[in-house]
Amino acid sequence: MKNLLLTKIEFLKQELKKPGTNGTPMILRLFLFLLVLVLTIFLGVIAILFITGTFTAGMAESQRMFENELLHTSQDISQQYGELSIQAIEFSKELSRSIENKTTKLGIPVSDLQEHPEILEEVISSELDRTLFCLQRSKSSGVFFILNATINPALDNANNSRAGLYIKNMEPNILSSSSPTIIILRGIPSISRNNLLSLHAQWKMEFDVSDAPYYHLPTNTAQANKNLPLSRLYYWSPKLTLPDTSEEVMLCSVPLIDSQGNVFGVCGIEVSAMLFKLTHMPNNNIYPRLFCVLSPITEGTIQFQQSVFAGGFSARNISANNNVLRVSDNRRSFYSYKQNQDSSFLGIHTPVNLYPKGSAFCDEQWVTAIMVPEDDLVSSITKLNLSLIGLLMILIILGIIASYILSQRYLKPITEGLDMIKSTDLSAAPRTKIAEIDDLISFLAAHNEELYERARQENLSLTILDEFAENIKTLSPAERSVFVLYAQDHNAKEIAEILCLSINTIKTHTKRVYTKLNVTSREELLLYVNMLNEIGNKI
Amino acid sequence: MKKYISVFTIVVLLFLPISAGCDNSIKLNPKNPVTLTFWHNYGGQLKETMDSMVDEFNDTVGAEKGIIINVTSISGSATLHKKLTMAANGDPGAPSLPDITTAYPKTALILAQKGLLADLNEQFSLQELSAYIPEFLEEGRLEGEHLYVFPTAKSTEVLFLNKTLFDRFAEDTGAKIEDLGTFEGIIRTASLYYDWTDKQTPNIANDGKMFFMPDSLFNFTLIGYKQMGAEFIKNGVTNFISPEYPRVWECYYKPAVIGQVAIHNGYATDLAKTGDIICSTGSTAGVSFFSPTVTYADNTSEPIELDILPYPVFEGGKKAAIQRGAGMSVIKSSKEKEYAAAIFLKWFTNPDNNLHFVSSTGYLPVTEEAFGEIMSQEIKNISDERIKKLLQTSRIMQKEYEFYIPPLFEDIDELQKQYEGQLKETATQSRKSYIEFLKSNNQITAYETVSNGKYDDFISKF
Repeated sequence: MKNLLLTKIEFLKQELKKPGTNGTPMILRLFLFLLVLVLTIFLGVIAILFITGTFTAGMAESQRMFENELLHTSQDISQQYGELSIQAIEFSKELSRSIENKTTKLGIPVSDLQEHPEILEEVISSELDRTLFCLQRSKSSGVFFILNATINPALDNANNSRAGLYIKNMEPNILSSSSPTIIILRGIPSISRNNLLSLHAQWKMEFDVSDAPYYHLPTNTAQANKNLPLSRLYYWSPKLTLPDTSEEVMLCSVPLIDSQGNVFGVCGIEVSAMLFKLTHMPNNNIYPRLFCVLSPITEGTIQFQQSVFAGGFSARNISANNNVLRVSDNRRSFYSYKQNQDSSFLGIHTPVNLYPKGSAFCDEQWVTAIMVPEDDLVSSITKLNLSLIGLLMILIILGIIASYILSQRYLKPITEGLDMIKSTDLSAAPRTKIAEIDDLISFLAAHNEELYERARQENLSLTILDEFAENIKTLSPAERSVFVLYAQDHNAKEIAEILCLSINTIKTHTKRVYTKLNVTSREELLLYVNMLNEIGNKI
Repeated sequence: MKKYISVFTIVVLLFLPISAGCDNSIKLNPKNPVTLTFWHNYGGQLKETMDSMVDEFNDTVGAEKGIIINVTSISGSATLHKKLTMAANGDPGAPSLPDITTAYPKTALILAQKGLLADLNEQFSLQELSAYIPEFLEEGRLEGEHLYVFPTAKSTEVLFLNKTLFDRFAEDTGAKIEDLGTFEGIIRTASLYYDWTDKQTPNIANDGKMFFMPDSLFNFTLIGYKQMGAEFIKNGVTNFISPEYPRVWECYYKPAVIGQVAIHNGYATDLAKTGDIICSTGSTAGVSFFSPTVTYADNTSEPIELDILPYPVFEGGKKAAIQRGAGMSVIKSSKEKEYAAAIFLKWFTNPDNNLHFVSSTGYLPVTEEAFGEIMSQEIKNISDERIKKLLQTSRIMQKEYEFYIPPLFEDIDELQKQYEGQLKETATQSRKSYIEFLKSNNQITAYETVSNGKYDDFISKF
């Protein structure tokens, strides 16, 4: 194969050298002209594609798609989280009022619940219906309330154990008239037994608030900002996993405040990672691994371990690795979200306001982002451009092939015509049906005829001259001397003087010369001599 | 002419790579992966194992072949059944069906009858299928020989025992763990336990505690009959006239009314978490739902040791237990998706992965290879004592027990619901009356009074 290639290259070199010696063949000239034409058209098409932005259309299209997706997703998230915040606030108001009424009826101020654990079961049980109603109305994955009290203050961990109720809807995304999907994650077991609600596999009686910003932050903030309304005190916790559970959730918690302004717990609404995933799944028809993320952002870093996702699997792995993403906008179209050297994402993000102005937590920045692994986006756009380039290459190859075929076909009648011209009988040659070539052949045929006639006549003269030249050889030395002097244009008298002979002797020699050379006069003799000189036969 | 043919050939060759995508054979493209939505019922602590396995698949075989498994629902098996039937019926508010779902044969039958399931026989060669335990495959063959439920992890029922509390009770009373091998023995022990706990509070009469709860009364009855050599369901109809039923009744109704056996509309684990029962029969897969601690009413808690014993047998009966466990069904869609789903199933059930799943969840493996020596080795390496005990017990049962696949017909789900509901309702009403009668009568009189005619009333409802 390699040898064949080398032979071909050598052949091409030889072919290219030929024009230098013999001039460029017409077929090659025509082929090169056509090739130049094809290349010009090709470059023109490329220039048009560049000018019209076809090569960057894939990128622009992806950007538009990302922007649309982000717009819808961020609007949906804002609306969902806004509605949940409002419902959590309403729930807090109703629950605070109801619990206060209940404890008042029992003769105990709500702020003194901690000192009366014996009433907790009754108080908590009585709020089940309200909690269930909030769960169903909010279409969230869970609703909870935590009271600043514990059933058994004598326990070692009593300071971090808080009584309350946490019910979960395991299937918030389907409409169901019955409630088999509602189970109790935290709460007194009698609530489960009396209301046919199952206990969660990871049920505990009370909340462990040892590391619970969703409990401490709103209560502490409410105590420190007594003038702020509930709408400025609710708090969205980043994604977390509650102690002794395995599900990732975001919690919106609102302080429970009695009529005296005392904070006695929190209540709130849960958005599970699964609910977020099912509600905000981006359209991944084009990029199967496209995902959206709702995340806190601090100093240009997306806190993935605190984010909720919807979409491809890749997001889960990053989150599982407890990583953060550094945001950089060094690209024209997309932000780059780098996890480490090996993996990064491309996408866009926009801020999401989870809190209104004046909120105690409005400094917390959240973003919604739409991302895809960098490889997916790059390979998609590269694939698009490669297919475009592929098509252009096919176009140019077809152009070259067409140039070759056209030059061959164009030159074929010319070479055939030349072959005809080269043939012996031009007048009998067939017509090529190409006017110019047929004209040329006619012209050349007529011209050949004329030449033939002339040649025929010239052939006759040549025979006489040959005879004349042969006859010269028959002259005697004396006769030859006279002939030579005649050839040198001397007359008889001059020849007599030159040869020192009498004029009569000269006349005798002359007569014999004329007889031997078959001429009748001195003029005829000179004519033959001149003709011989013309054809190069010197006397 | 030859030149034209050459040019044509070149042009065709040039265009071939472009038209290659039109090939009809099933090919997956790693650069354009197919996404399969997946519903499963492995929640709670099983979720982590399932999540990690799905991630592992997506990162390895999935990435290599171009498949993404996207979990879009994790529900309990009852909810999953409801969701799937809602989706199959196109009920308002129902979600779209996933591409792969865990499903019990009863659920799969409903979907299969609507022509919604892919026949997995088409995706597996006979040689591949021969690696699986035939009984497990058989359970998934519905509507003829169609393989609609692929066995991925199976379960049976065992006896879960709170050994910490039992030992405390046995120490005082001499109760023997061996007695828990039969249902009659369990009821005798339950009576002993009731009396023992009643005596803990001498000032309150008849406040003894419950000892036992069968998680599924329907399975309890089905297997009870089987152990005694009879069939509870014949031709889709319940068989109450058989002499075996009074024995089943006596092992549930009487101790339930007296307060020794729980009447509870939920899982036994709910009661086990609070120490309200000591033992229960239930699915091996339920092991992860048992809390390692018991929390009492005053919020005090203590760690407990969970013991797992073979499924009890009615005295004189043969050793038989139910064969349970959802398999995975593939929803009929594009050939590409069905092929991709089969790749996931093959990966999920290869012996290594199957045992990995089994060793952290309490399910039983589904291939002959995984059930053999590999499992013995795997058991040694398991750090979770509960799973270790469960697999040891399962192996014993695999050798000694006959496994029974419940009959499958369209109304079995409704029949099960009706039977369990009626039995619990009868027991609950009797229990309420019993408590009232106890105020003025002794236990025997009170029971005889409330139970009078209840048996006949109950069976007349079917």
